[in-house]
Amino acid sequence: MGEVGESLRETSVINLGSASTMVVDDSTFGLDLTCQALLGFGIRTQHACQNAAEAMEILSRHPIDLMVVDCEMPTVNGYELVRWLRRSAGNNAMVPVSMTAAHICRSKIAEVRDCGANFVVTKPFSASTLLERIVWAARDTRPFLEVGDYFGPDRRFRDLGAPAGERRSAVIRKAAFDAQQSAQVAAGLES
Amino acid sequence: MTIITHAQVRTKLSKVIDLPGGISVGVALSRARTNIESRRAQAEAVMEIEIAGLEGVAAPTTLGDQPFRLKEAYRAANGVIDAASPFELADLCQAASGLCDMIDSARPDLMFDWRVVKVYARSLRLLQTLPLDQAGARNTVLDSLKSVADRKLQPPAA
Repeated sequence: MGEVGESLRETSVINLGSASTMVVDDSTFGLDLTCQALLGFGIRTQHACQNAAEAMEILSRHPIDLMVVDCEMPTVNGYELVRWLRRSAGNNAMVPVSMTAAHICRSKIAEVRDCGANFVVTKPFSASTLLERIVWAARDTRPFLEVGDYFGPDRRFRDLGAPAGERRSAVIRKAAFDAQQSAQVAAGLES
Repeated sequence: MTIITHAQVRTKLSKVIDLPGGISVGVALSRARTNIESRRAQAEAVMEIEIAGLEGVAAPTTLGDQPFRLKEAYRAANGVIDAASPFELADLCQAASGLCDMIDSARPDLMFDWRVVKVYARSLRLLQTLPLDQAGARNTVLDSLKSVADRKLQPPAA
């Protein structure tokens, strides 16, 4: 389930609860909305940052498993933050990054392409699109390339061909999950 | 050009996602939508502030002043998209995004037709106040904006 490029199945099971997650957005409300969506996915945001400087400080001291970064921020924008991450964040350099953008100016398209993020989602996007990109980022097996100024996932991922079918592990975990749910319902009925 | 390839080390995210336990995608999305929905009133307040902000941006009087004014309008339109997007208010996002496109296409050597900003601000206000079930009226607003954009963005006649 949820291979890169593939839509999510409602019945697939995900476990993101132990992922150390950072969200970076200069807007207090935007930050809260993203954290609320992540919370729904089972992700408790450890680091909610309102600027790149704060994020950089944390990234240089703590291991992070997933980043969701807003593109447009004053002073150091999201692209610059991700570019810094890839080049200078040591053990966090290859962290999966999903970026979000309300609107991307034509002058910024090259910056978006070259910053090294795994995926960029433009708004409006639904909760399902955000989750899809996070799952894609988790399943992203592209090698990282250093080409000139660029350091990030291989951007030629469209050449990979059709995504794989249902993973056997997903089927097994789904069966275990259903059994667990049924047991909980039964326990609830008995009490 | 030299290309250095680093084999992707399996990230922790790729390991934890398959750990036993967790929730189904259906449950995750349902919870996320509920959490987001709990912020609807705040989102409406933010949209109100951003649209009022857009309405309040004064037209530039000189070319030197123009980038600052355009940036203010662009930021307000971005704010509308940020607040409206999680609630799938696609028409509000489309209208705000249309204004961003227009501002993005502004030429630094020409005065921007500020009536465009005013029209978009009024349209956003209208979309914000029109009931969601009035799809016809909402589409009419978007169609009008599209014709404004088509007129303004068309290449100059040879």
